[in-house]
Amino acid sequence: MKKSGFWLIYLILLVAQLLLSTYANFSPYVMVTLLPVMVLCMPIRMDTLPAMLIAFASGLFVDLFSEGLLGLNALALVPVAYARYSIIRLIFGGELFAREEDFSIHRSGFWKVVVAILLSTTLFVAVYVWADGAGTRPFLFNAIRFAASLAVSTGLSLLVVDLLAPDSRK
Amino acid sequence: MRSRKVLPRVINLAIFIILEIASLQLLSRNAQLQRLWLSKSVHGFMGTVWGSTQRVQGFFRLARTNRELSLENAALLKDLTAAREALRKVQTDSLRSGLADESGFIVIPAEVVKMSRGTQHNYLILNRGYEDGIQEKSGVITRNGVVGMIDAVSAHHAYAFSFQHADISISARLGQEGGTGLLVWDGTSSRGAILKEIPLQYKYNPGDTVFTSGHSLLFPPDIPLGVAGSSKIINGATNEISVTLFQDFSAIRYVSVVHNTAFDEIEEFVP
Repeated sequence: MKKSGFWLIYLILLVAQLLLSTYANFSPYVMVTLLPVMVLCMPIRMDTLPAMLIAFASGLFVDLFSEGLLGLNALALVPVAYARYSIIRLIFGGELFAREEDFSIHRSGFWKVVVAILLSTTLFVAVYVWADGAGTRPFLFNAIRFAASLAVSTGLSLLVVDLLAPDSRK
Repeated sequence: MRSRKVLPRVINLAIFIILEIASLQLLSRNAQLQRLWLSKSVHGFMGTVWGSTQRVQGFFRLARTNRELSLENAALLKDLTAAREALRKVQTDSLRSGLADESGFIVIPAEVVKMSRGTQHNYLILNRGYEDGIQEKSGVITRNGVVGMIDAVSAHHAYAFSFQHADISISARLGQEGGTGLLVWDGTSSRGAILKEIPLQYKYNPGDTVFTSGHSLLFPPDIPLGVAGSSKIINGATNEISVTLFQDFSAIRYVSVVHNTAFDEIEEFVP
Protein backbone atom coordinates (compact mmCIF):
# COMPACT_ATOMS: atom_id res chain seq x y z
CA MET A 1 0.00 0.00 0.00
CA LYS A 2 1.20 3.51 -0.76
CA LYS A 3 2.22 5.50 2.31
CA SER A 4 -0.36 8.23 1.68
CA GLY A 5 -3.10 5.59 1.44
CA PHE A 6 -2.09 4.11 4.79
CA TRP A 7 -2.06 7.45 6.59
CA LEU A 8 -5.46 8.42 5.15
CA ILE A 9 -6.95 5.19 6.50
CA TYR A 10 -5.07 5.77 9.78
CA LEU A 11 -6.70 9.21 10.14
CA ILE A 12 -10.16 7.84 9.30
CA LEU A 13 -9.72 5.08 11.92
CA LEU A 14 -8.52 7.67 14.43
CA VAL A 15 -11.79 9.57 13.95
CA ALA A 16 -13.65 6.25 14.20
CA GLN A 17 -11.86 5.56 17.50
CA LEU A 18 -12.87 9.01 18.70
CA LEU A 19 -16.53 8.21 17.96
CA LEU A 20 -16.18 4.79 19.64
CA SER A 21 -14.65 6.35 22.77
CA THR A 22 -17.40 8.96 22.95
CA TYR A 23 -20.50 6.98 22.01
CA ALA A 24 -19.73 3.27 22.46
CA ASN A 25 -19.83 3.21 26.27
CA PHE A 26 -22.11 0.20 26.61
CA SER A 27 -20.84 -1.00 29.95
CA PRO A 28 -18.19 -0.07 32.52
CA TYR A 29 -16.71 -3.52 31.87
CA VAL A 30 -16.03 -2.95 28.17
CA MET A 31 -13.65 -0.46 26.58
CA VAL A 32 -13.39 -0.67 22.79
CA THR A 33 -10.12 0.32 21.12
CA LEU A 34 -8.61 0.15 17.63
CA LEU A 35 -5.50 2.09 18.56
CA PRO A 36 -3.14 -0.90 19.19
CA VAL A 37 -3.80 -2.48 15.78
CA MET A 38 -3.35 0.92 14.11
CA VAL A 39 0.09 1.27 15.70
CA LEU A 40 0.99 -2.37 14.97
CA CYS A 41 0.19 -1.93 11.27
CA MET A 42 2.37 1.17 10.79
CA PRO A 43 4.80 0.69 7.85
CA ILE A 44 7.68 -1.56 8.82
CA ARG A 45 10.20 1.01 7.56
CA MET A 46 9.04 3.43 10.25
CA ASP A 47 11.42 3.26 13.22
CA THR A 48 10.36 2.92 16.84
CA LEU A 49 11.06 6.58 17.67
CA PRO A 50 8.65 8.18 15.14
CA ALA A 51 6.16 5.38 15.84
CA MET A 52 6.18 6.28 19.56
CA LEU A 53 5.73 9.99 18.79
CA ILE A 54 2.79 9.28 16.46
CA ALA A 55 1.29 6.89 19.03
CA PHE A 56 1.61 9.57 21.73
CA ALA A 57 -0.02 12.17 19.48
CA SER A 58 -2.79 9.75 18.47
CA GLY A 59 -3.53 8.88 22.09
CA LEU A 60 -3.61 12.56 23.05
CA PHE A 61 -5.90 13.34 20.11
CA VAL A 62 -8.44 10.73 21.29
CA ASP A 63 -8.08 11.84 24.92
CA LEU A 64 -8.58 15.49 24.03
CA PHE A 65 -11.69 15.11 21.95
CA SER A 66 -13.42 12.21 23.71
CA GLU A 67 -14.82 12.16 27.24
CA GLY A 68 -11.93 10.21 28.78
CA LEU A 69 -9.03 11.22 31.00
CA LEU A 70 -6.37 13.33 29.30
CA GLY A 71 -3.20 11.23 28.98
CA LEU A 72 -4.76 7.79 29.50
CA ASN A 73 -4.79 6.58 25.88
CA ALA A 74 -1.36 8.13 25.30
CA LEU A 75 0.00 6.33 28.39
CA ALA A 76 -1.29 2.96 27.15
CA LEU A 77 -0.44 3.39 23.44
CA VAL A 78 3.23 4.42 23.69
CA PRO A 79 4.28 0.99 25.12
CA VAL A 80 2.60 -0.68 22.11
CA ALA A 81 4.69 1.45 19.75
CA TYR A 82 7.80 0.72 21.82
CA ALA A 83 7.17 -3.04 21.68
CA ARG A 84 5.95 -3.06 18.03
CA TYR A 85 9.21 -4.29 16.45
CA SER A 86 9.64 -6.96 19.15
CA ILE A 87 6.09 -8.25 18.59
CA ILE A 88 6.55 -8.36 14.79
CA ARG A 89 9.93 -10.08 15.11
CA LEU A 90 8.52 -12.60 17.61
CA ILE A 91 5.43 -13.51 15.56
CA PHE A 92 6.47 -13.03 11.93
CA GLY A 93 10.26 -13.52 12.16
CA GLY A 94 13.10 -11.26 11.06
CA GLU A 95 12.59 -11.77 7.30
CA LEU A 96 10.01 -8.99 7.14
CA PHE A 97 12.69 -6.53 8.23
CA ALA A 98 15.20 -7.86 5.70
CA ARG A 99 12.64 -7.56 2.87
CA GLU A 100 11.17 -4.36 4.34
CA GLU A 101 7.76 -5.90 3.70
CA ASP A 102 4.65 -5.18 5.78
CA PHE A 103 2.70 -8.14 7.15
CA SER A 104 -0.82 -9.01 6.00
CA ILE A 105 -3.33 -11.79 6.64
CA HIS A 106 -2.79 -13.32 3.20
CA ARG A 107 1.02 -13.27 3.27
CA SER A 108 1.66 -13.98 6.96
CA GLY A 109 -1.31 -16.18 7.85
CA PHE A 110 -4.51 -15.46 9.74
CA TRP A 111 -3.49 -16.93 13.09
CA LYS A 112 -0.15 -15.13 13.22
CA VAL A 113 -1.95 -11.81 12.68
CA VAL A 114 -4.48 -12.73 15.38
CA VAL A 115 -1.68 -13.45 17.87
CA ALA A 116 0.12 -10.18 17.00
CA ILE A 117 -3.08 -8.17 17.46
CA LEU A 118 -3.82 -10.05 20.68
CA LEU A 119 -0.35 -9.24 22.09
CA SER A 120 -0.46 -5.53 21.23
CA THR A 121 -4.06 -5.17 22.47
CA THR A 122 -3.19 -7.03 25.68
CA LEU A 123 -0.39 -4.57 26.37
CA PHE A 124 -2.65 -1.59 25.69
CA VAL A 125 -5.66 -2.83 27.69
CA ALA A 126 -3.52 -3.92 30.66
CA VAL A 127 -1.96 -0.46 31.04
CA TYR A 128 -5.29 1.28 30.36
CA VAL A 129 -7.30 -0.71 32.93
CA TRP A 130 -4.50 -0.46 35.52
CA ALA A 131 -4.14 3.33 35.21
CA ASP A 132 -7.87 4.01 34.86
CA GLY A 133 -8.58 2.05 38.05
CA ALA A 134 -5.87 3.96 39.95
CA GLY A 135 -5.67 1.22 42.58
CA THR A 136 -9.24 1.83 43.74
CA ARG A 137 -11.14 -0.90 41.90
CA PRO A 138 -11.27 -4.53 43.06
CA PHE A 139 -9.15 -7.09 41.26
CA LEU A 140 -12.19 -8.98 39.97
CA PHE A 141 -13.62 -5.85 38.33
CA ASN A 142 -10.28 -5.12 36.64
CA ALA A 143 -9.90 -8.74 35.52
CA ILE A 144 -13.40 -8.85 33.96
CA ARG A 145 -12.89 -5.46 32.33
CA PHE A 146 -9.53 -6.56 30.97
CA ALA A 147 -10.87 -9.83 29.50
CA ALA A 148 -14.05 -8.28 28.03
CA SER A 149 -12.21 -5.30 26.52
CA LEU A 150 -9.50 -7.55 25.09
CA ALA A 151 -12.04 -9.86 23.45
CA VAL A 152 -14.17 -7.07 21.93
CA SER A 153 -11.20 -4.95 20.81
CA THR A 154 -9.34 -7.90 19.25
CA GLY A 155 -12.48 -8.93 17.34
CA LEU A 156 -13.03 -5.41 16.05
CA SER A 157 -9.32 -5.04 15.17
CA LEU A 158 -9.53 -8.17 12.99
CA LEU A 159 -12.28 -6.47 11.00
CA VAL A 160 -10.12 -3.43 10.24
CA VAL A 161 -6.66 -5.02 9.95
CA ASP A 162 -7.20 -5.78 6.26
CA LEU A 163 -7.73 -2.05 5.63
CA LEU A 164 -4.42 -1.15 7.26
CA ALA A 165 -2.32 -4.12 6.08
CA PRO A 166 -3.81 -5.31 2.76
CA ASP A 167 -2.17 -7.93 0.57
CA SER A 168 -0.49 -6.05 -2.31
CA ARG A 169 -0.67 -9.19 -4.49
CA LYS A 170 -4.46 -9.42 -4.27
CA MET B 1 29.73 -1.14 15.08
CA ARG B 2 28.15 -2.30 18.31
CA SER B 3 27.66 1.27 19.54
CA ARG B 4 25.71 1.98 16.34
CA LYS B 5 23.16 -0.63 17.42
CA VAL B 6 23.11 0.33 21.10
CA LEU B 7 22.73 4.09 20.72
CA PRO B 8 19.32 4.04 18.94
CA ARG B 9 18.03 1.59 21.56
CA VAL B 10 19.11 3.91 24.38
CA ILE B 11 17.52 6.89 22.63
CA ASN B 12 14.29 4.91 22.06
CA LEU B 13 14.21 3.90 25.72
CA ALA B 14 14.81 7.48 26.84
CA ILE B 15 12.06 8.86 24.58
CA PHE B 16 9.74 6.07 25.75
CA ILE B 17 10.31 7.02 29.40
CA ILE B 18 9.87 10.73 28.64
CA LEU B 19 6.57 10.12 26.81
CA GLU B 20 5.26 7.90 29.62
CA ILE B 21 6.19 10.48 32.26
CA ALA B 22 4.48 13.17 30.16
CA SER B 23 1.34 11.01 29.95
CA LEU B 24 1.37 10.38 33.71
CA GLN B 25 1.85 14.10 34.32
CA LEU B 26 -1.18 14.88 32.14
CA LEU B 27 -3.20 12.22 33.94
CA SER B 28 -2.30 13.50 37.39
CA ARG B 29 -3.09 17.11 36.45
CA ASN B 30 -6.50 16.25 35.08
CA ALA B 31 -7.82 13.55 37.39
CA GLN B 32 -8.00 13.77 41.19
CA LEU B 33 -8.09 9.98 41.67
CA GLN B 34 -5.05 9.40 39.47
CA ARG B 35 -3.20 12.25 41.23
CA LEU B 36 -3.72 10.60 44.64
CA TRP B 37 -2.74 7.21 43.26
CA LEU B 38 0.47 8.54 41.71
CA SER B 39 1.26 10.58 44.82
CA LYS B 40 0.97 7.48 47.02
CA SER B 41 3.09 5.44 44.62
CA VAL B 42 5.80 8.11 44.63
CA HIS B 43 5.70 8.37 48.42
CA GLY B 44 6.03 4.58 48.73
CA PHE B 45 8.96 4.63 46.32
CA MET B 46 10.64 7.46 48.25
CA GLY B 47 10.22 5.49 51.45
CA THR B 48 11.91 2.45 49.94
CA VAL B 49 14.77 4.50 48.45
CA TRP B 50 15.45 6.47 51.61
CA GLY B 51 15.15 3.33 53.72
CA SER B 52 17.87 1.67 51.63
CA THR B 53 20.29 4.60 51.89
CA GLN B 54 19.54 4.83 55.60
CA ARG B 55 20.55 1.16 56.07
CA VAL B 56 23.94 1.88 54.49
CA GLN B 57 24.45 5.00 56.58
CA GLY B 58 23.33 3.12 59.70
CA PHE B 59 26.02 0.50 59.19
CA PHE B 60 28.73 3.15 59.42
CA ARG B 61 27.39 4.75 62.56
CA LEU B 62 26.58 1.68 64.62
CA ALA B 63 28.77 2.72 67.53
CA ARG B 64 27.03 6.08 67.92
CA THR B 65 23.63 4.44 67.49
CA ASN B 66 24.40 1.92 70.24
CA ARG B 67 25.41 4.74 72.57
CA GLU B 68 22.20 6.63 71.82
CA LEU B 69 20.12 3.48 72.25
CA SER B 70 21.62 2.78 75.66
CA LEU B 71 20.75 6.33 76.75
CA GLU B 72 17.25 5.90 75.32
CA ASN B 73 16.89 2.57 77.15
CA ALA B 74 17.85 4.17 80.40
CA ALA B 75 15.30 6.95 79.92
CA LEU B 76 12.61 4.44 78.94
CA LEU B 77 13.34 2.28 81.95
CA LYS B 78 12.91 5.30 84.16
CA ASP B 79 9.60 6.12 82.45
CA LEU B 80 8.48 2.50 82.72
CA THR B 81 9.03 2.47 86.44
CA ALA B 82 7.03 5.65 86.83
CA ALA B 83 4.32 4.31 84.51
CA ARG B 84 4.04 1.03 86.46
CA GLU B 85 3.58 2.98 89.64
CA ALA B 86 0.91 5.17 88.00
CA LEU B 87 -0.81 2.08 86.56
CA ARG B 88 -0.87 0.41 89.94
CA LYS B 89 -2.63 3.46 91.36
CA VAL B 90 -5.13 3.63 88.48
CA GLN B 91 -5.95 -0.07 88.76
CA THR B 92 -6.57 0.35 92.45
CA ASP B 93 -8.90 3.30 91.74
CA SER B 94 -10.65 1.39 88.91
CA LEU B 95 -11.30 -1.58 91.11
CA ARG B 96 -12.83 0.74 93.61
CA SER B 97 -15.12 2.42 91.06
CA GLY B 98 -15.72 -0.69 88.90
CA LEU B 99 -14.54 1.10 85.72
CA ALA B 100 -11.67 -0.84 84.15
CA ASP B 101 -10.66 1.04 80.98
CA GLU B 102 -8.39 0.57 77.95
CA SER B 103 -6.92 3.30 75.77
CA GLY B 104 -8.17 1.76 72.48
CA PHE B 105 -4.94 2.65 70.66
CA ILE B 106 -2.33 0.33 69.14
CA VAL B 107 1.19 1.67 69.71
CA ILE B 108 4.06 0.70 67.38
CA PRO B 109 7.60 2.07 67.88
CA ALA B 110 9.40 3.34 64.77
CA GLU B 111 12.49 5.24 63.73
CA VAL B 112 12.57 8.32 61.50
CA VAL B 113 14.75 7.53 58.47
CA LYS B 114 14.15 10.78 56.61
CA MET B 115 12.45 14.05 57.39
CA SER B 116 12.23 17.50 55.86
CA ARG B 117 12.17 20.70 57.89
CA GLY B 118 12.91 23.47 55.43
CA THR B 119 9.59 23.83 53.63
CA GLN B 120 5.97 24.67 54.42
CA HIS B 121 4.97 21.06 53.60
CA ASN B 122 7.32 18.94 55.66
CA TYR B 123 7.20 15.17 55.92
CA LEU B 124 8.74 12.19 57.73
CA ILE B 125 9.54 8.72 56.49
CA LEU B 126 9.48 5.95 59.10
CA ASN B 127 11.19 2.56 58.98
CA ARG B 128 7.98 0.64 59.62
CA GLY B 129 5.34 -0.33 57.03
CA TYR B 130 2.16 -2.35 56.76
CA GLU B 131 4.08 -5.57 57.38
CA ASP B 132 4.84 -4.14 60.82
CA GLY B 133 1.20 -3.26 61.44
CA ILE B 134 1.32 0.42 60.44
CA GLN B 135 -1.91 1.68 58.89
CA GLU B 136 -2.89 4.87 57.12
CA LYS B 137 -4.75 7.44 59.22
CA SER B 138 -2.58 6.82 62.25
CA GLY B 139 -0.92 9.42 64.47
CA VAL B 140 2.82 9.80 65.10
CA ILE B 141 3.83 10.88 68.60
CA THR B 142 6.78 11.02 70.96
CA ARG B 143 6.74 11.47 74.69
CA ASN B 144 7.11 15.20 74.01
CA GLY B 145 3.99 15.54 71.90
CA VAL B 146 2.52 15.04 68.46
CA VAL B 147 4.87 14.75 65.48
CA GLY B 148 2.62 14.03 62.49
CA MET B 149 0.12 11.73 60.84
CA ILE B 150 0.57 8.77 58.48
CA ASP B 151 -0.49 9.40 54.88
CA ALA B 152 0.84 6.42 52.91
CA VAL B 153 2.28 3.04 53.82
CA SER B 154 4.48 0.61 51.88
CA ALA B 155 5.62 -2.84 53.01
CA HIS B 156 8.50 -1.60 55.17
CA HIS B 157 8.11 2.18 55.31
CA ALA B 158 5.52 4.82 56.09
CA TYR B 159 5.18 8.37 54.79
CA ALA B 160 3.81 10.89 57.30
CA PHE B 161 2.87 14.53 57.08
CA SER B 162 4.86 16.37 59.74
CA PHE B 163 3.04 18.61 62.22
CA GLN B 164 5.21 21.28 60.55
CA HIS B 165 3.02 21.07 57.45
CA ALA B 166 0.85 23.98 56.38
CA ASP B 167 -2.24 21.76 55.99
CA ILE B 168 -2.04 19.92 59.32
CA SER B 169 -4.02 20.88 62.42
CA ILE B 170 -4.57 19.01 65.67
CA SER B 171 -7.51 19.24 68.03
CA ALA B 172 -6.02 20.54 71.30
CA ARG B 173 -7.30 21.54 74.73
CA LEU B 174 -6.07 24.33 76.95
CA GLY B 175 -5.33 22.95 80.42
CA GLN B 176 -7.14 19.96 81.91
CA GLU B 177 -10.63 21.37 81.45
CA GLY B 178 -10.20 24.45 79.26
CA GLY B 179 -11.44 25.33 75.78
CA THR B 180 -10.73 23.20 72.75
CA GLY B 181 -9.27 24.59 69.54
CA LEU B 182 -7.06 23.79 66.60
CA LEU B 183 -3.29 23.68 67.06
CA VAL B 184 -1.27 24.51 63.94
CA TRP B 185 2.41 25.11 63.23
CA ASP B 186 3.35 28.81 63.23
CA GLY B 187 5.17 28.24 59.92
CA THR B 188 8.55 29.59 61.02
CA SER B 189 10.14 28.17 64.17
CA SER B 190 10.90 24.57 65.13
CA ARG B 191 8.98 24.78 68.45
CA GLY B 192 6.35 27.41 67.68
CA ALA B 193 2.64 26.73 67.25
CA ILE B 194 -0.66 28.61 67.41
CA LEU B 195 -3.80 27.46 69.20
CA LYS B 196 -6.79 28.88 67.31
CA GLU B 197 -10.53 29.26 67.88
CA ILE B 198 -10.51 29.21 71.71
CA PRO B 199 -13.83 30.77 72.85
CA LEU B 200 -13.38 33.97 74.86
CA GLN B 201 -15.22 32.63 77.93
CA TYR B 202 -12.41 30.19 78.66
CA LYS B 203 -9.86 31.97 80.84
CA TYR B 204 -6.27 30.84 80.92
CA ASN B 205 -2.89 31.92 82.25
CA PRO B 206 0.33 32.04 80.24
CA GLY B 207 2.24 28.89 81.23
CA ASP B 208 -0.81 26.62 81.15
CA THR B 209 -0.16 23.28 79.43
CA VAL B 210 -1.83 22.43 76.11
CA PHE B 211 -2.97 18.79 75.67
CA THR B 212 -4.46 16.73 72.84
CA SER B 213 -8.23 16.94 73.24
CA GLY B 214 -9.09 13.39 72.16
CA HIS B 215 -11.72 14.78 69.76
CA SER B 216 -9.49 13.72 66.85
CA LEU B 217 -9.58 9.99 66.13
CA LEU B 218 -5.85 9.99 65.39
CA PHE B 219 -4.40 10.83 68.79
CA PRO B 220 -5.14 9.68 72.33
CA PRO B 221 -6.35 12.43 74.70
CA ASP B 222 -4.17 14.20 77.28
CA ILE B 223 -0.80 14.06 75.50
CA PRO B 224 1.06 17.20 76.67
CA LEU B 225 1.93 19.27 73.61
CA GLY B 226 3.37 22.54 74.87
CA VAL B 227 2.97 25.64 77.00
CA ALA B 228 0.59 28.53 76.28
CA GLY B 229 2.06 31.99 75.81
CA SER B 230 0.62 35.32 74.74
CA SER B 231 -2.79 35.67 73.12
CA LYS B 232 -4.76 37.98 70.88
CA ILE B 233 -8.47 38.30 70.15
CA ILE B 234 -9.55 37.47 66.60
CA ASN B 235 -12.65 39.23 65.16
CA GLY B 236 -13.87 39.87 68.72
CA ALA B 237 -15.00 36.24 68.96
CA THR B 238 -12.12 33.88 69.72
CA ASN B 239 -8.67 33.84 71.25
CA GLU B 240 -5.54 32.91 69.32
CA ILE B 241 -2.80 31.74 71.65
CA SER B 242 0.87 31.22 70.85
CA VAL B 243 2.23 27.89 72.10
CA THR B 244 5.79 26.75 72.70
CA LEU B 245 5.92 23.03 71.90
CA PHE B 246 7.69 20.51 74.13
CA GLN B 247 8.86 18.65 71.04
CA ASP B 248 11.94 20.04 69.35
CA PHE B 249 11.51 19.08 65.69
CA SER B 250 15.23 19.38 65.03
CA ALA B 251 15.90 16.38 67.30
CA ILE B 252 13.39 13.69 66.39
CA ARG B 253 14.57 10.15 65.89
CA TYR B 254 12.43 7.61 67.73
CA VAL B 255 8.66 7.91 67.52
CA SER B 256 5.56 5.87 68.25
CA VAL B 257 2.79 5.30 65.73
CA VAL B 258 -0.64 5.20 67.36
CA HIS B 259 -3.73 3.82 65.65
CA ASN B 260 -7.23 4.04 67.01
CA THR B 261 -8.71 0.51 66.91
CA ALA B 262 -12.21 1.99 66.64
CA PHE B 263 -11.27 4.40 63.82
CA ASP B 264 -13.20 2.69 61.00
CA GLU B 265 -16.22 2.03 63.19
CA ILE B 266 -16.46 5.68 64.29
CA GLU B 267 -15.76 6.97 60.75
CA GLU B 268 -18.89 5.16 59.53
CA PHE B 269 -21.00 7.57 61.60
CA VAL B 270 -19.46 10.58 59.90
CA PRO B 271 -21.28 11.50 56.68
